[in-house]
Amino acid sequence: MTTISEHDGSTHPRAAGPAPRRAGDWAVEAHGLTKRFGTRAAVDHVDLLVPRGSAFGYLGPNGAGKTTLIRVLLGLTRADSGTMALLGVPVPAQRARALARVGAIVDEPRFHGHLSGRENLRILAAARGGDAGTQIGPALDRTRLTQRADDKVSAYSMGMRQRLGLAACLLADPQLLILDEPMNGLDPAGMHEMRDMLRSLTDEGRTIVLSSHLLDEVERTCDQVAIVDHGKVIRQGPIGELTAGAGVAVEVQCSDPPAAARALGQPAIASRIALTRDGLTVTLTAGPGREQAANINRRLVGAGISVYGLRQTHARLEDWFLSVTSRFGGEQ
Amino acid sequence: MTQHGLAVGGRGSWVPSWPLIGAKFLELRKRRVLMTVAVAFTVALPVLFYGVRLIYHLGDPARYAPAGAPDAFATAGTVMDEFGFIIATALGATAGTADLTDGMFRHLVITGRSRLALYLARIPAGLSILLSLAAAGFTVACLVTAFLGSPHAAGAVTVSPGDMVSSGLWLELDLVIGFTVGLGLGSLMGQRTVPVILLIVLEIIITPALADHPLPHFLNGERLVVGVAMDQLKPAALAGGTTIGPGGGPRVLHLPPMPTWAMITVIAGWIIGWSAIGAWKMATRDA
Repeated sequence: MTTISEHDGSTHPRAAGPAPRRAGDWAVEAHGLTKRFGTRAAVDHVDLLVPRGSAFGYLGPNGAGKTTLIRVLLGLTRADSGTMALLGVPVPAQRARALARVGAIVDEPRFHGHLSGRENLRILAAARGGDAGTQIGPALDRTRLTQRADDKVSAYSMGMRQRLGLAACLLADPQLLILDEPMNGLDPAGMHEMRDMLRSLTDEGRTIVLSSHLLDEVERTCDQVAIVDHGKVIRQGPIGELTAGAGVAVEVQCSDPPAAARALGQPAIASRIALTRDGLTVTLTAGPGREQAANINRRLVGAGISVYGLRQTHARLEDWFLSVTSRFGGEQ
Repeated sequence: MTQHGLAVGGRGSWVPSWPLIGAKFLELRKRRVLMTVAVAFTVALPVLFYGVRLIYHLGDPARYAPAGAPDAFATAGTVMDEFGFIIATALGATAGTADLTDGMFRHLVITGRSRLALYLARIPAGLSILLSLAAAGFTVACLVTAFLGSPHAAGAVTVSPGDMVSSGLWLELDLVIGFTVGLGLGSLMGQRTVPVILLIVLEIIITPALADHPLPHFLNGERLVVGVAMDQLKPAALAGGTTIGPGGGPRVLHLPPMPTWAMITVIAGWIIGWSAIGAWKMATRDA
């Protein structure tokens, strides 16, 4: 099963496992979605399909249109054209129904600073209605905020506000969580904790759409990604398949990494060369990796550079991301 | 994850639920500085005013009239009106902008709750605070007037229970106007300070100027200002406080009187119009 990518009509692998077939099987479904600010299209004819139950990374450089798309999906701002549905329910036509089981954090989570975390949740539960009020305690427990729930939010750290934002999401007992940069402001332990929490949520069958610029975190948390650049989705599919298509990477340890980078760049032997602390990482286009590694070795030795080690690895999400986004000389 | 469906549960309705009103009430009530100023302007001010009058009267009864004299009632009412209007606009503008400036508006919209319901919930929440405080302050004025007034000589001017009721209702109506206009203007502008300043200027400078200086070719225009219409509706018991007519008689209206229907139309127009503008902005604003 494949999905037609937005930018060039080429085909890309999509979901791992049994693929959804009916409209209601998608947690998020958008077709031709466009949002303009003046003449600039922040979201440009985006087609996006997020399978239910998946952890879906939504990646892009700063200013690529990630947050705008999320805001459009949630009805925070109006789309200029296109159709969309959340959990199979059309938005904005049935927005209240669609958002009944959706939780979201958009941008930095902010709350009434003069109220406690619990009081803020009480306000949001009142807006949600139903039995959302009964979810306040469990949501605070799950986000490990119970001890500080009665403190004013103005005294919360950024990490605690992120967790309070997640607690607010959980009031809906959500089938779909849309999280915009949820790792922002978290220390390493907090990121680890958040990652575990997101994993546990997906294990319960919930769908998570995670917008982030922390590619490492996305790679650890998500099973599928979409890459957005200049308002367009340029690739989407399972991470493994997408990075496999990006070829291999070779880590080179050598005596003079800058000179090695120049030697490999003329003529170009790789799609991307990145300097590291003790060498360089060379991302190769798809092809026979062993032969390419031998070519690199020959080129460097020929240029008088001592090669201490060559290690072939699969291209990581970051390598692939940088190779396909325009700001780093990618495809766009 | 539970298995309940995607029930709307009234969230799509434009009618605000009681819990939603209660939530907004909580949010406003917990604003310590605003509530302190509100109590000061609505309750502490008349208590202070009558306390000073009482002390003066007890110190020199021959020179200073009793605290509960009719002129004191009028002065207290006017002071409560001016300061009450200011706090009403501040409370309204705060109610109209707090969610936005605190970053909660986005969370609230994501709940799927009707934006109109979110807006309308602010009105009973804010008014329940404002009107109850104003009623408490006005009750002080009524009690002092009723029990600490001058002995009733034949033909002396007194403040009857009916005067008190009409004065109280007029005062509360003025605060409702201040609150709803502050709410609408705050929601429209997305910030609190400028709307409050604009409405204070309207109340303290523009309205008295228009009410006291008729412009022959612009009379109907002047009458469209809500303060001018309210001024004409002001009960006699309050009207003698600050604006005494020539020779110390009853207050004189400088503008030709407005028909009652015109006053009601202007007042209702301001309340409904600004509420509609605020609600429209709330419904269409990017979150």
